[in-house]
Amino acid sequence: MSAAAAEKLSLHNVSKVYASANRSGIIALSEVDLHVRVGEFLCIVGPSGCGKSTLLSILAGLETPTSGSVLMDGLPIQKAGTERVVIFQEPALFPWLNVLDNVEFGLKMKNIPYPERREKALQALELVHLSQFQDAYVHQLSGGMKQRVALARGLVLDPEILLMDEPFAALDAQTRDSLHEELSRIWAHTKKTIIFVTHNVREAARLGDRILLLSAHPGTVLNEFKVTLPRPRFIEDPGVMDLARNITAQLKSRHREIAPEVVI
Amino acid sequence: MNAALYRKIFFYGFLLTLWHGLYQAKIWPEYLFPSPADVGANLWQGLREQSYIFAILASFRRLLIGYGLSVVLGLPLGILLARYRWLEQTLGSLVLGLQTLPSICWLPLAILWFGLSDSAIIFVVVIGSLLSVTIATKSGIQQVAPLLLKAARTMGAEGVRLYRYVILPAALPTVMSGLKQGWSFAWRSLMAGELLFVNVGLGHLLDAGRELNDMSQVIAVIAIIVVLGWLTDRFVFASLERKIAERWGFH
Repeated sequence: MSAAAAEKLSLHNVSKVYASANRSGIIALSEVDLHVRVGEFLCIVGPSGCGKSTLLSILAGLETPTSGSVLMDGLPIQKAGTERVVIFQEPALFPWLNVLDNVEFGLKMKNIPYPERREKALQALELVHLSQFQDAYVHQLSGGMKQRVALARGLVLDPEILLMDEPFAALDAQTRDSLHEELSRIWAHTKKTIIFVTHNVREAARLGDRILLLSAHPGTVLNEFKVTLPRPRFIEDPGVMDLARNITAQLKSRHREIAPEVVI
Repeated sequence: MNAALYRKIFFYGFLLTLWHGLYQAKIWPEYLFPSPADVGANLWQGLREQSYIFAILASFRRLLIGYGLSVVLGLPLGILLARYRWLEQTLGSLVLGLQTLPSICWLPLAILWFGLSDSAIIFVVVIGSLLSVTIATKSGIQQVAPLLLKAARTMGAEGVRLYRYVILPAALPTVMSGLKQGWSFAWRSLMAGELLFVNVGLGHLLDAGRELNDMSQVIAVIAIIVVLGWLTDRFVFASLERKIAERWGFH
């Protein structure tokens, strides 16, 4: 039973069909099987339209699959919950709250009393190196800082799983680099299970233990790569670049029509 | 002191001088075109004898009751319209239709229902501002970014708390502009109502000025109405809007 216990998430035959003007509907995901271990850093890569964001929404409990089962710790996921926090591509911070209040938000929803709430929020801000900005308003922060606040806002809830939906796609390369470093450090430090969706193959090779390749129309699992490169890794490491090239080459040979959308 | 203030002082000084010059030119008879000094004297007298003070207080009392009722009724109504599609399709269409009707058109109905009383005027004030508050609340809620709601849901916000801590604050800038518009509609409806039937109040003072052929009083009361409107806009709504803009970073 120990192997089963170490399995955090398991998806069996998950499909998602959206209603559309024609009667057949749009198939976003088709018969996806997925197993994620406790503490694993899984990257999901695929071109736009491969249903990777849909998959993440289903894992978050924000959407329900049309068919198939989604289990966490052996129990079905029925709705959104703080054990699975989502970091979106847009920071989605609340502009009417300052940085510290944004980080405290989830704790407030959990009825954690004030002094404890504040202490935890301050710790989370420290983890992302933003302590000196605790009183700033959201619009005063740069894109990278906003995404750090979003990360702190998720981590403060001490989730079991972090679901990240192209969280660094809108950032410049340098900021993205430093956030990769911080995320790797936080992951090593907290041992959270992370599912990281991206269209950037190199980012996936830089961060993940395992990379899942999805194809588009309909979204289905194309291939899977174990990443055994030593950590700490850097985006310009030869190993990371080789792996990214290898994955992209496989993608191209299998699905010539979708490859151009995938960034190396 | 800044340049803007100097310009204002100069502009209003010029306006008063022009007014006085026209008065001196005797183009129109004095009883139709009083001097600034006459109007000032009338204003001073009315304030000193407190008749203007009572009128201001009576009007403000009606305004606050009417506007207060609009806010208390309009906010929940807007929330319900945003929440239930069937309600928006039915009651919502009626609300949009009624908003095109100038609120003073309700006065005959109000007088028949409530008699010649404060209640009749307050009814007109409520009808005048309620719909603005309702429509702004409804559209403010409907415009909340879906991503903010998703984020809030994954952090455990649900039901009433989702409204209290996310949806309503997110809708606040739009709701605020509805509250401001509602206030100005309430103020207009009140003046129209007070002009049309006699009771203590600023509108009544205007009407009394006309009956007495007292143009100084008419202009003095108009000046009071303008200044009161400006003061509430400046010190209540403008400052609230500025706070929201600073916080959200609207510039």
